[in-house]
Amino acid sequence: MTSSIREFASKKKPGDYYQRLAAEVEELNKEYHAFTTINASQKGKAGAGVPFSSKANICVKGFETTAGSKMLRGYVPPFNATVIERMLASGEYSFLGETNMDEFGFGTFGLNTEVPARNAFDKAYVAGGSSGGAAAATALLKYHVALAESTGGSIATPAALNGVVGFTPTYGAVSRYGLIDYANSLDKIGVISRSAADARTVFDLVRGADSYDTTCVVGKIRDEKKERFYVVKELLEAAEAPVKRPFEKLVSKLESMGRKVERISLGILAEAIEPYYIIAMAEASTNLAKYNGYKYGLQYGELYKRYDEFFTSARENFGTEAKRRIILGTFIRGESVRDRYYTKALVLRRMLIESMQKVLEKGFLLSPTIPILTPKISDASRLTPVQNYAMDLYTIPPNLGGFPHISFPYDYVNGMPVGAQLVAAQANDYSLLGFVDEWEKGFAYRFAGNVGDI
Amino acid sequence: MRIGLEIHIALPTRSKLFCACGTSAEQPNTAICPICMGFPGSKPMLNREAVVVALGIANALHCKINERTSFVRKIYFYPDLPKSYQITQLGGSLGETGYLQYDKKKVGIRRVQLEEDPAKIVREGAYTLLDFNRSGMPLVEVVTDPDIRSQEELWGFLRTLRSILYYLGIDIDKEVKADLNVSVGRDRVEVKNVTGIKNLVEAAKFEEERQEQLVKEGEAVKQETRGYNEKKRATEPMREKETDEEYGYLYEPDLTVFDVSKISYKKPVYIDEVTHALAEKYKANERTLKELTMFDSRSLERIESLKGRYRMQSIIHAIQRIKKFGKEGISDSAFEKMIGLIDNDVEITKHVIEEVERGREVVVKHAKLTEKELERRIVEYLRENRRLLEDYKKNKKAANLIIGEISKRENLHPKDVSKKVLAVLDKAAGGEISI
Amino acid sequence: MKDDDFDRLLKTSRLRLSAEERATIKRDIDEIIRYFDRINKAHAEGGPAHQPISVPTRFRDDNVSAFADFELLKKTSKLHKGYILGPKL
Repeated sequence: MTSSIREFASKKKPGDYYQRLAAEVEELNKEYHAFTTINASQKGKAGAGVPFSSKANICVKGFETTAGSKMLRGYVPPFNATVIERMLASGEYSFLGETNMDEFGFGTFGLNTEVPARNAFDKAYVAGGSSGGAAAATALLKYHVALAESTGGSIATPAALNGVVGFTPTYGAVSRYGLIDYANSLDKIGVISRSAADARTVFDLVRGADSYDTTCVVGKIRDEKKERFYVVKELLEAAEAPVKRPFEKLVSKLESMGRKVERISLGILAEAIEPYYIIAMAEASTNLAKYNGYKYGLQYGELYKRYDEFFTSARENFGTEAKRRIILGTFIRGESVRDRYYTKALVLRRMLIESMQKVLEKGFLLSPTIPILTPKISDASRLTPVQNYAMDLYTIPPNLGGFPHISFPYDYVNGMPVGAQLVAAQANDYSLLGFVDEWEKGFAYRFAGNVGDI
Repeated sequence: MRIGLEIHIALPTRSKLFCACGTSAEQPNTAICPICMGFPGSKPMLNREAVVVALGIANALHCKINERTSFVRKIYFYPDLPKSYQITQLGGSLGETGYLQYDKKKVGIRRVQLEEDPAKIVREGAYTLLDFNRSGMPLVEVVTDPDIRSQEELWGFLRTLRSILYYLGIDIDKEVKADLNVSVGRDRVEVKNVTGIKNLVEAAKFEEERQEQLVKEGEAVKQETRGYNEKKRATEPMREKETDEEYGYLYEPDLTVFDVSKISYKKPVYIDEVTHALAEKYKANERTLKELTMFDSRSLERIESLKGRYRMQSIIHAIQRIKKFGKEGISDSAFEKMIGLIDNDVEITKHVIEEVERGREVVVKHAKLTEKELERRIVEYLRENRRLLEDYKKNKKAANLIIGEISKRENLHPKDVSKKVLAVLDKAAGGEISI
Repeated sequence: MKDDDFDRLLKTSRLRLSAEERATIKRDIDEIIRYFDRINKAHAEGGPAHQPISVPTRFRDDNVSAFADFELLKKTSKLHKGYILGPKL
């Protein structure tokens, strides 16, 4: 697959390319709702750069940034996230807009927001979550890269459902400064793009030390190629049959490419959902405490009310899933139960990291990205929370452990793309991009649209 | 009575605890940024200097230092708290289990922790006005055991703490804020947000009397939270909070476990011990030493750096002279020159100090008074105190007082003036000199 | 979860639910907690991992610098005489 960034640079663009693109995106958005903010005016430097979008939880100075929440409606950040600062400072990218998402990232299918994004292949289907808008936009736009964010699978899942590449780096490789927090020890900014090459270009631009984020760790990013692919039995068992069938074909194809695919047993990976959600909710419930309706975002005007009443009234504007997670997170942090849930989950995370790291030094972990085929919006919205959380079975282990992972399209079932997920050891991010580069040489992606073609 | 304290000490850093905003702004909301206002997406970066100062405090209070220190979020809702959680410390506090000692009294220190200050609230009519300049200012909270048993002990504790902090570069004279736990019996009363040392002692006194009165009347002391009303000099019940907060502490995942083992910090000065040791070793007056050095680290530094090289008496005298003439700002080299002059019996006047400061040679004319000049000065003194001559006429022993006064005034040894004083007195008594 | 405990959680987190929302959310939460309880069966040993990677010690030097976009910052709140307006105490 060619790099759309490089291709765009080599093309001769009409002078009003950017304005025309923005207008087309406005039209498109009426159907797909991929964007929450579109930079129609193209303030500042005129649009000579590669169009890029950022998920709506990444602060862009001067543009409404809501993280998909009513609580942040009207919030215009007075600063750029570090990743935005670096994209703009390069002079090679133009900011196209912010992409739709589940409120604060709380969702697997992109439905936990007022107007959900639609799947780029078929509007009756979910775009996935929580970076659903970023994935749909990437699937629809010919020249574009998306900055997205993953806490428990929010890059890989929507990328798989929209037939694009979703790359989540090692925790701490990219600064989180300016990322609206969901769960600080899990949040990672990554890239959704049409090729591994594009993801690499953007990753190299935005990663690295930042004096505004303590947890942004400068380490050498490695490129240790792995010939061995591990498939964890306990994980694959849970996939539904229509997912298993194409996945087995992928396994054969990899073997024909000279890779060794091994089935292993690693039960701890199938037990990662509970500790993940416990940690994520505990942290999220503290991050959401600040939304009280009198500083940024929603201004709940009734300042004559006493503060407790004022806060409680303002906070009615959270969506249902956000409320659920605040209550659960508060419960988990309670003095009488915290050791039983929160502390235990932290210990289980350490154990998971240790056992995964051991395996990943020898080879990649391979699985489908999601255990079901893309669901219709009407079906997905009927799932209970617990059924929903179970959909993150494959994306949670690398996210809980801070391992880099990538989702790439490998087949099409009933005209809809399916994605596979590859996980590498911490800091071995380049090896994933390197493999997908190679994959793209033998497999042509089908994209849902080519808006903005020249 | 048992008193325990939670004392909040503002640290003298240039910038705030987690962001680069300044700490000395005056106009409201002029030293603010997304970090200290808790904006979505902002993250804390820990100020190294705040850690340095806090370690100095923990060490001075004989705490066990946690070389791997970490932070927690303390979640509660109040309009002055921008993130609805305060970043503070708990299990991984910088200092744990220390003590503060004064005289024979030891007060246990439970924790020394680093934390951020909330915003300042100004009430204006029905409005709640918020100034975020204060939000994010670095604080150290010192939590004591309930070891203080009386107002006198409280006073002694606070005075000693103030002195220890002073030599670490922190002045808590006016700014200190504390919560007091006071109990005469079983149930404790918490008195929140008392500002200033004087008010703390007053609040404890009031609370002790109030509780004792209740006990005397056979009533129970209610376990409650009270506030201190400075105007009424009384504690009063605080408006009950609607929710009994459960803080739900969480490890602060935007920071890390900080290794502070390689950070160096100021060593403490326990001024009573220091002056006692100096007085012993150099045969100087302990009280004078204490007077000169209490809340004056510059003078203490001068003594410490020059002791042994010069006579302690000369150093002390030099400090007394510069204090007298408001010349405390004199350079170290000029100060040392001054001591040299004192050792050569030069009388240190304001003029002499200024000459030394300008770098001019002060001619060491032999400063010993001529016999005639000394006589003139004794006469002058007797004229100012005519009653003394009458005393002498009645009782010769009155001469001792005069000898003492003259030697002090002229900075001479009594034995060097006694002969002359006696001679002048005799002449005056005999009418040879008219007084 | 008992109704009292649930109400206390709502109070602690400053949330109010409509009767309808309360019924759904309470039912979901009971189900989720039962799900979480499965970790009681998991074998656990050793210390916790507060973060997935080890984050080295890094400080900020004590230097002052003013925030660049002060005006934009202040625009996000309601102001009165330079103060930010908050709810009643």
